[in-house]
Amino acid sequence: MSSDLPVFGIEFGAMASRCEVRLAASDEAAARGLALAAIAEVRRIEAKYSRYRADSIVSRINAAAGNEWIACDEETAALFGYADALFDASGGLFDITSGVLRRAWDFRQAQVPEAIILEPLLKLMGWNRMEREREGGALYVRLPQAGMEIDFGGFGKEYAADRAGAILFELGVRHGYVNLGGDMRVIGPQPDGQPWSIAIQDPRRPNAVIAAIPVHSGALATSGDYERYFDLEGRRYCHILDPRNGMPVQYWRSVSVLAPLAIAAGSHATIAMLMQEQGLRFLRESKLAFLAVNQAGEIFQENAV
Amino acid sequence: MQLKAGRDGDDRNDSAGRAILMAALALPGLIGVAGAAHADSAPEQGSISLNYLDYRDWQPGLDRIKVHTPAIDVLAPVAGVWAVQASLVSDIISGASPRYHTAISGASSMSDHRVAEDVGLTRYFPQGTINAGFAHSGENDYQSRAFSFGGSLSTEDKNTTGHAGIGVSNDTINPVNQVVNDAKKHTLELMLGVTQILTQNDIVQADLGHVIEQGYLSDPYKFLDNRPDERSRNTLLLRWNHHFEGSDGTGRFSYRYYTDTWEIRAHTFAFEYVQPFSQGWTVTPSARYYTQSAASFYFDPDYDPNYGPPVPLGYVFGSVSSPDQRLSAFGAATLGLKVEKAVARDVQISFKFEQYEQRCDWRLFGSGSPGLAPLYARVLQLGIVKTW
Repeated sequence: MSSDLPVFGIEFGAMASRCEVRLAASDEAAARGLALAAIAEVRRIEAKYSRYRADSIVSRINAAAGNEWIACDEETAALFGYADALFDASGGLFDITSGVLRRAWDFRQAQVPEAIILEPLLKLMGWNRMEREREGGALYVRLPQAGMEIDFGGFGKEYAADRAGAILFELGVRHGYVNLGGDMRVIGPQPDGQPWSIAIQDPRRPNAVIAAIPVHSGALATSGDYERYFDLEGRRYCHILDPRNGMPVQYWRSVSVLAPLAIAAGSHATIAMLMQEQGLRFLRESKLAFLAVNQAGEIFQENAV
Repeated sequence: MQLKAGRDGDDRNDSAGRAILMAALALPGLIGVAGAAHADSAPEQGSISLNYLDYRDWQPGLDRIKVHTPAIDVLAPVAGVWAVQASLVSDIISGASPRYHTAISGASSMSDHRVAEDVGLTRYFPQGTINAGFAHSGENDYQSRAFSFGGSLSTEDKNTTGHAGIGVSNDTINPVNQVVNDAKKHTLELMLGVTQILTQNDIVQADLGHVIEQGYLSDPYKFLDNRPDERSRNTLLLRWNHHFEGSDGTGRFSYRYYTDTWEIRAHTFAFEYVQPFSQGWTVTPSARYYTQSAASFYFDPDYDPNYGPPVPLGYVFGSVSSPDQRLSAFGAATLGLKVEKAVARDVQISFKFEQYEQRCDWRLFGSGSPGLAPLYARVLQLGIVKTW
């Protein structure tokens, strides 16, 4: 009986985060096998889209900026299509070419970069500028200017959570979840039918939570101003940067969204952070359940319509 | 291929609001071939896989949405409603930079035997867990292999959790002075404890530990240090953490009782108060008092008139003995102050000052070992911690 299945948790490190696969399986050997399949997929995506590996598709496209055309496989082409949707839905705020701003912001030092440093970087951004051609059934892309770069850090972890969750579902898992660094895809409830209780971390107290929601299936992701940041003179500078001026957003402390897919949940959360005050209307229009905390610590929440 | 009609009237906002979700659903392989709950949506996997060029040409108009998208509602999350409260109990925590220890801190010596390999395995039951681990560590003069097995059991409301564990480790000691070669030490450790959440601001914990050591237990770097080849140790540790809501500080009180078959008995009383300030500063004053009785084979610095130091009076060569001051009877007090500053999420700078004083006549419950000068130690520690 499904309700008698034991539950196992397998912890591992990936994408610079602590991760966990929790699932119900007949025994420990089966659990290990299933988890290894999920972990292998997470590691595959991590390697394929890594900025740190010279042979990854992302590094090759970045190295060829202003120069050569690079052929993309279908998976990468599909992710570019998704990046298009985010760029459009966010009015250009979610821009996967905005990683160049990393050159100005080093969150290990409490230093706000001068405008003279940010200006040239702003000119190296613009997802809508990426050139693309279909030829012989393959997609070729090119960044138009040397120094431009793309990266999938904005939704890579959530994408991997969805892929790992889908693989586990295909392998027969009906109870469990994949949790990659706080972004999670829930495949199914606990074996006895009870939902998993997912709590939201307090954005100002690492060991505390501020809310919880019971989930049978679906995905939950959180975006916040406490992942990489520094505080200076009473103001928080976080790693989520507005591509229009290169400066960190300030309005929300954290946004958590519940959606059918982790990638959708995470994108909504990040875009709401980027939209700042307008993010609340954006979240409401999405009709998804969300919980957002502003800088004053006030909580805004909506349950699914 | 049945599709649900979109809602009339607010379709324009609805489609804009749904655009991201629909684009996500268009990504291949995120749902699983077994598909959504409805069988007739499985074949749609093919038509769902829009590549990016199709998307760019695709305008979110009424008709095209209705033709191409599956019944999104079928895939909607099945969930309850938000409960906004600072609850300590949950299965998982979602956050931008989550900390993966449980909200109930049940740290014990068993955690020192955690798996060193990449993947650790825990088995979950409705009210508890079982975990098994293997750890391997090595330095040039000390190699260790440890196995651990443990579990926890909670009440339904998760306010009370009991934990138990067993650890076995085999060590090999090869001191650089070669006093011994490939000396072995076997350790069996048993632990039992309970953690109780009393209120929103109070956690108490009690732990019992029993350790049996066999093999080479002496300190190879000390002359005339020949300890028995067996030792049993018992500890009782009581802890109470209290969070002060007004100041947002935390007080931590603990008492530890220790006894072993070398006739050492010790008590430790400790207190520290963690006070966070704005801008990432934290100040932690601390105080500790420690008292112990001497080991049965500890010898006072009363030296044999013929042989002179370090040979004690009446010493029989080869007998069990140790001059190690750490096995004498004494009392000690520590006062400390730690100041920390969080520079970024994962970088913390700390400065710690501790003053330690050990005196034989500070011993409680008996007299201290004679002939030893007081020991003073001042510790200044500057640290930078980066977590990842």
